[in-house]
Amino acid sequence: MASPGRIRNRKPIGTSRSDNYDQDDEDHVNAVYQRPTARSAFEQALDTPKASAAVVGILTALAFALRFYKINHPDQVVFDEVHFGKFASYYILRQYYFDVHPPFAKLLFGLAGWFVGFDGHFSFDNIGDSYTENHVPYVGMRALPAILGSLTIPVVYAIMKETGHSTIVAAFSACIVLFDNAHVAQSRLILLDATLIFFMALTIYSYIRFRKLRYWEFSVEWWSWLIATGFFMACAWGSKVNGILTVLTIGIAVLIDLWDILDIKKGHTLEHFWQHFLARALGLIVVPFIIYLSFFYVHFAVLTYSGPGDSFMSPAFQETLIGNELLMHSQELRYYDVIALKHRDTKVFLHSHPDRYPLQYDDGRISSQGQQVTGYGYEDANNHWQIIPTKALPEAGRGRVVQHEDVIQLLHVNTQTLLLTHDVASPLMPTNQEFTTWPKDDHSRHNDTLFYLDLIDGNAGDTWKSKSGHFRLVHVPTKVSMWTHAKQLPDWAFKQQEINGNKNSVEKSATWYVDEIVSTDSNLDLAEINTPKEPKKLGFFRKFAELQLLMLQHNAGLTASHPYASTPINWPFLISGISFWTENDTQKQIYLIGNAIGWATCVILIAIYVGIISADVVARRRDIEAIPEHIRNRLWNSAGFFFLIWAVHYLPFFLMSRQLFIHHYLPSHLASALLAGSVLSFILSDTINFPISVAGRRTHMRPSEYADLGTKGPIVVGIFAAIMFAMFVFIAPLTYGTPGLDGDAVNSKRLLSSWTLHFAAKNT
Amino acid sequence: MSSEDTSARRRVAKGPGCSGGFMSGSDYDTDPLQYDDHKDGHSKLRPPIGGRVSSGRLHKPYPTPPTSISDFIHQNLEHLPPAIYTLLSCWTRFHKIGLADIVVWDEAHFGKFGSHYLKREFYFDVHPPLGKMLVAFAGLLSGYDGNFEFKSGEKYPDTVPYVAMRVMMATFGVALVPLGWYTAVELGLSPWACHLVALMVLCDVAWLCISRFILLDSMLLFFTFTTVFFLTKFHNQQYQSFSFDWWLWLALTGISIGCVTSVKWVGLFVTAVVGIYTIEDLWDKFGDLRMSTRNQLRHWGARILCLILLPILVYMTFFKLHFLILNHTGPGDAQMSSLFQAHLVGNDFWRNPLEVAYGSKITLKNMGWGGGLLHSHVQTYPSGSTQQQVTCYHYKDDNNHWLVLPRWNGPAYNPNEELRFVKNGDVIRLQHAPTTRSLHSHPIPAPITKLNYEVSCYGNSTVGDVQDHWVIEVVDDIRQGKKESLDRIRSLTTRARLRHEVLGCYLSAANKVLPQWGFKQIEVSCVKENDPDDIHTYWNVESHWNDRLPAGDVKHYKSAFLRDFWHLNVAMMTSNNALVPDPDKDDILASHPTDWPWLRLGLRMCGWGDNQPKYYLLGTPLVWWGGTLSLIVFVALLGIYLVRWQRRYVDMDATGWAHFLYVGKVAFYGWFLHYAPFFIMGRVTYLHHYLPTLYFSVLMSAHVMDHCIFSARWKEKTKRILFGVTAFAIVANFWWFRGMAWGIEGPVNEYWGLQWRKVGFFSVVMEACDDNWSAIRLSF
Repeated sequence: MASPGRIRNRKPIGTSRSDNYDQDDEDHVNAVYQRPTARSAFEQALDTPKASAAVVGILTALAFALRFYKINHPDQVVFDEVHFGKFASYYILRQYYFDVHPPFAKLLFGLAGWFVGFDGHFSFDNIGDSYTENHVPYVGMRALPAILGSLTIPVVYAIMKETGHSTIVAAFSACIVLFDNAHVAQSRLILLDATLIFFMALTIYSYIRFRKLRYWEFSVEWWSWLIATGFFMACAWGSKVNGILTVLTIGIAVLIDLWDILDIKKGHTLEHFWQHFLARALGLIVVPFIIYLSFFYVHFAVLTYSGPGDSFMSPAFQETLIGNELLMHSQELRYYDVIALKHRDTKVFLHSHPDRYPLQYDDGRISSQGQQVTGYGYEDANNHWQIIPTKALPEAGRGRVVQHEDVIQLLHVNTQTLLLTHDVASPLMPTNQEFTTWPKDDHSRHNDTLFYLDLIDGNAGDTWKSKSGHFRLVHVPTKVSMWTHAKQLPDWAFKQQEINGNKNSVEKSATWYVDEIVSTDSNLDLAEINTPKEPKKLGFFRKFAELQLLMLQHNAGLTASHPYASTPINWPFLISGISFWTENDTQKQIYLIGNAIGWATCVILIAIYVGIISADVVARRRDIEAIPEHIRNRLWNSAGFFFLIWAVHYLPFFLMSRQLFIHHYLPSHLASALLAGSVLSFILSDTINFPISVAGRRTHMRPSEYADLGTKGPIVVGIFAAIMFAMFVFIAPLTYGTPGLDGDAVNSKRLLSSWTLHFAAKNT
Repeated sequence: MSSEDTSARRRVAKGPGCSGGFMSGSDYDTDPLQYDDHKDGHSKLRPPIGGRVSSGRLHKPYPTPPTSISDFIHQNLEHLPPAIYTLLSCWTRFHKIGLADIVVWDEAHFGKFGSHYLKREFYFDVHPPLGKMLVAFAGLLSGYDGNFEFKSGEKYPDTVPYVAMRVMMATFGVALVPLGWYTAVELGLSPWACHLVALMVLCDVAWLCISRFILLDSMLLFFTFTTVFFLTKFHNQQYQSFSFDWWLWLALTGISIGCVTSVKWVGLFVTAVVGIYTIEDLWDKFGDLRMSTRNQLRHWGARILCLILLPILVYMTFFKLHFLILNHTGPGDAQMSSLFQAHLVGNDFWRNPLEVAYGSKITLKNMGWGGGLLHSHVQTYPSGSTQQQVTCYHYKDDNNHWLVLPRWNGPAYNPNEELRFVKNGDVIRLQHAPTTRSLHSHPIPAPITKLNYEVSCYGNSTVGDVQDHWVIEVVDDIRQGKKESLDRIRSLTTRARLRHEVLGCYLSAANKVLPQWGFKQIEVSCVKENDPDDIHTYWNVESHWNDRLPAGDVKHYKSAFLRDFWHLNVAMMTSNNALVPDPDKDDILASHPTDWPWLRLGLRMCGWGDNQPKYYLLGTPLVWWGGTLSLIVFVALLGIYLVRWQRRYVDMDATGWAHFLYVGKVAFYGWFLHYAPFFIMGRVTYLHHYLPTLYFSVLMSAHVMDHCIFSARWKEKTKRILFGVTAFAIVANFWWFRGMAWGIEGPVNEYWGLQWRKVGFFSVVMEACDDNWSAIRLSF
């Protein structure tokens, strides 16, 4: 439920500043009024457009310099370039691959690679593989994130300027990101984060521009910034799964905004509210969704050939890819065909041999002593089964094709026995039924040999096909599903895999397919099957839905432990980093770690912000209003928005059980830099730039105020920037991976004992 | 009570009634600035000072003492319905309670733990002791001697008065019904809704079923119910703060919290409900500028005293009792520190020779919370060095035995030479007694914590290398103090660390569980960072054998209660978290939290043979579905009201709004806090984890029915018909499913499978179950 305070105040947190325009408080007017020329000389000088442009120019130039410095080093595959470089080459080769992240950023890499003439021949197999030896134009590909990472700096600066902070504060926020070793390391390599962060920053910027136009609602600019927000949001979301958090942030801000518009004291009609609602629905739901879809459209349009991602997809999907094995070899199955069945997950053949189950197992349970049915990993004549009908068949024609939900028997060709299961516990799992076989001439157990064919996603009348026709084999009388698991039977079954009946008849892992048609008595020529076929068509939306679902499942499934994975609580404090790359001979290494000064500053200023806000809430509860209304609004609204971005990009990670890395914190770090600027401004001065929104036709004109940090602003920020730069240079060998460090130097760079650097000298 | 101001509905408010403080009746006094234009309206609505409470049961003056019998009857007529419901609940709970004369489901655990109390043997379990002590108490009262094993599915012998024990457990279940009734009364629900609450509590098959056996759940439910009841009682005393009644109900709430958490840790969730209520309440008072500072402090103090200190005291008292009763050795020893074990009757640690010498045979205990004994066995690592595994293990066997020997390149140990004691800083070699291999480490990543080095057993009694050398670094001695003052290593009390001489890393066991190939034992690795405070690198000598040394004396060893209390709690926590779903094993009884609110499957509680009564834990669908539905309806209603409020429509007066929110919040917070945490927990979850949660959804369904029907503007006749239909449906639903709690006799397939087939999806559930449930069930 909503927090009580928010509703009671009738002026929800983080929303409109328009109340100030409404309530004219005469005393306040005088207090706020201030001439722009009454400010300190520094402030006035820096506030001019020219000075601002100069500052942002210098910052941007520095950003490019730091991100492009020795970008060609190392000329080896570093960390996740293994994945993302590879994906780029798949785009160039147009081979289908599968990844948990949406395709936008990877498409950009593909594009960049194609631009610089990469032909996709290199597959980025291992960290440390040489680019120069393999003639990969990797610098061009690395330039893309470096450019985007550098351009993030002016966007950060612009965000701060647009939210009414003075030039020097904006420079402060920009410096935190500019001199950050983690941001630099992350944007010099073929990784997705720079793209994500750039578009996330642009989303924030656009949304702020949009909000500032709220008295010019439905104007062209208003619409432009709304659509721009949606567009950049889609780009962030399309770059990496985490981008969804940016969408969530904007979503929350919009809900608060709409709640405010709904307030009857604003004097809007319900029609007006619905107009606002629909405009946002269009700009922030429909537009981003279309753009997000279009990334996938391009993705599918580019990847038309069979590739390593085939096996993740459903058979119907695979058949749309040129050269896919299913497409090439899939064929309808007819009764009396002899086939080999394979289990989808463990890749074993359904196998049987004349040996029998032992009478009694080690744990004392008794078996049926029937013929063993096992899973066997290799081709063998004992894997051959014949499909026997249970109904009368026509002599020829379509009637002989096996269909979904047909009841069949499977005849083991070598021993001429029929597959059977019954209510006897299987050798390894007392909960599951034993599978065995029964002589085909003995009809006493006829019912127990009946199975029906349950094609996955099958509809009545679908035919059973080899390779592509994934199915479950469900026993008719007991409803168990033929199943196997990666556990071996003891020596009496030659360590083959156990086959048993799973009582969950719709168990996902009980999926089988026909690997091969050994022989057929139909008049089709087997050779004919192997001629190339045209890929089938599948609707874009079905492809998209399937891929999106798989991405979510696999993302949640990334739970394997990783030596450099860390838990979210460690991130803001920079407890540990990630070793990206090492070179033993020269003792060079790249270690992802942030600028300790910058990160500490952010953490401290976040803590101060939370302290101020809590104190404000508590004080107001006691009717003490310590902070002037307009400054308080800035703290709650602008800084509150930054805090919201930080929290939404950070806190959800605590709930995720997948493996997490410190680079997941980088978007939050950017938000914390914005918040840090805002809090610094609050600390240094009790003045703000106000008002900052564009006044509409009917807005009351308000006396304005100008932020004035005096001379202490530039001094504080100047010193801070110098220290930041010094720290950046100090850690730089770990960020750029050059020069190599001897043991003692490594030890000195290890600011926290938890930084797991390589080549450290032995502790003595 | 919310329908007085009906004329105010659907009117755009300009005056009174538009405020509706969100929390309770008393917080529309903030932000006067924002409310300028409405100020007068608010002050009119402000409830009179002293009568702050406008939610919950309306306060009525106490009646005069009865002067005649008819007076007395008249005054107490309101207690007649709950009395009847209680009698009915006695019948449902006790009916055929002894039908199954076998150990059903988790009786195997909790009966066994009860026996341990009667035999006074120390055991270890993931749950706090109160519930099991009550089981033991029931056993004591009924004359049970504690000598039955409680093997799952076994027939009770004549010496076990299981019926009497079950009856005593079921009594807690009986009490749920009147508690439900009176809670509804205290919440201020209409009589119709009170009847509904009592009926739903009475007629839920799951609550019925779980109360009828020797399990902890009936007590957990009982204390959950009492906590809510006392809280509502306390809420209704708010008009007379610091009166005797006020203190009484506040203190009882605190004691109840202490009890519920002492039964199962799930009780922390209801504690959280009380916590949220209290924080809101205090925040409310904090904004009351008319209240004196002294009173503010008194309010805070009272809460801290009764809701924090008192529950902790209650909780610790039960542990103190636990330690006092269980003073003999038993199966749970190994979970505790060596010092604690030394004090149990029947333990011979104190016989250990005091000081360790070369040639001693020892076991090493990790001193991390819940740490085990250093262990090795002939199985090898499947990866890494593929040498012999070294693990940490809680059970005592010969594979924990290590010989203390001198380093390879020094003089070898000679049994006939003069005794050499092991000193701080000595380099020693630890030889695994059964396999004669030496404890060894090398720069190969450990199997789980890949940043640490692997520890293995290598070589034999004559072959080895310098990687087998470990340096003893004494931390301190619990009895003798700082390491400066001691020279030799003492068994039990000396805390020491083992540093690998070559690699400089420290032997550590940090509760990382190995996969199946390591038999789920704890990983032992060598940690590179030297963190002198890392308790997982601390070891002490537990058992110590050396024929050449004299036996020790018990006076050397003493353990402190607080230390043991903390140790046991951390060990419980660790084991609780270790109950994770096992991917290798298909636990058919486990269920996912999303299955619960819609009752998608039940839980089979016993064997499914034709000749035994069969029990199946499944709720009354109407109660479960109705509860879940009402939660959705409440959230929707709240949303609609808030939006309308933002547009200044007035649906309720302030009192009605406060009441709607108060009851809704108790029910919704309760439900949410009992439900959501199960999604975050990594451990295995079962259907019965939803049973306390269900109570809050029952309250919510009564509240929503009350709000929409019984207290709304319907004709009296309509209300009566709707109530009749609902009540009949609940009872009929219960009757239909009663067999699952009372026991189904005869073969399932004929009598019961057919019956459920009509109900649809239950048939699937029945068939999906299997017969070896007992093998799978570990705990809970």
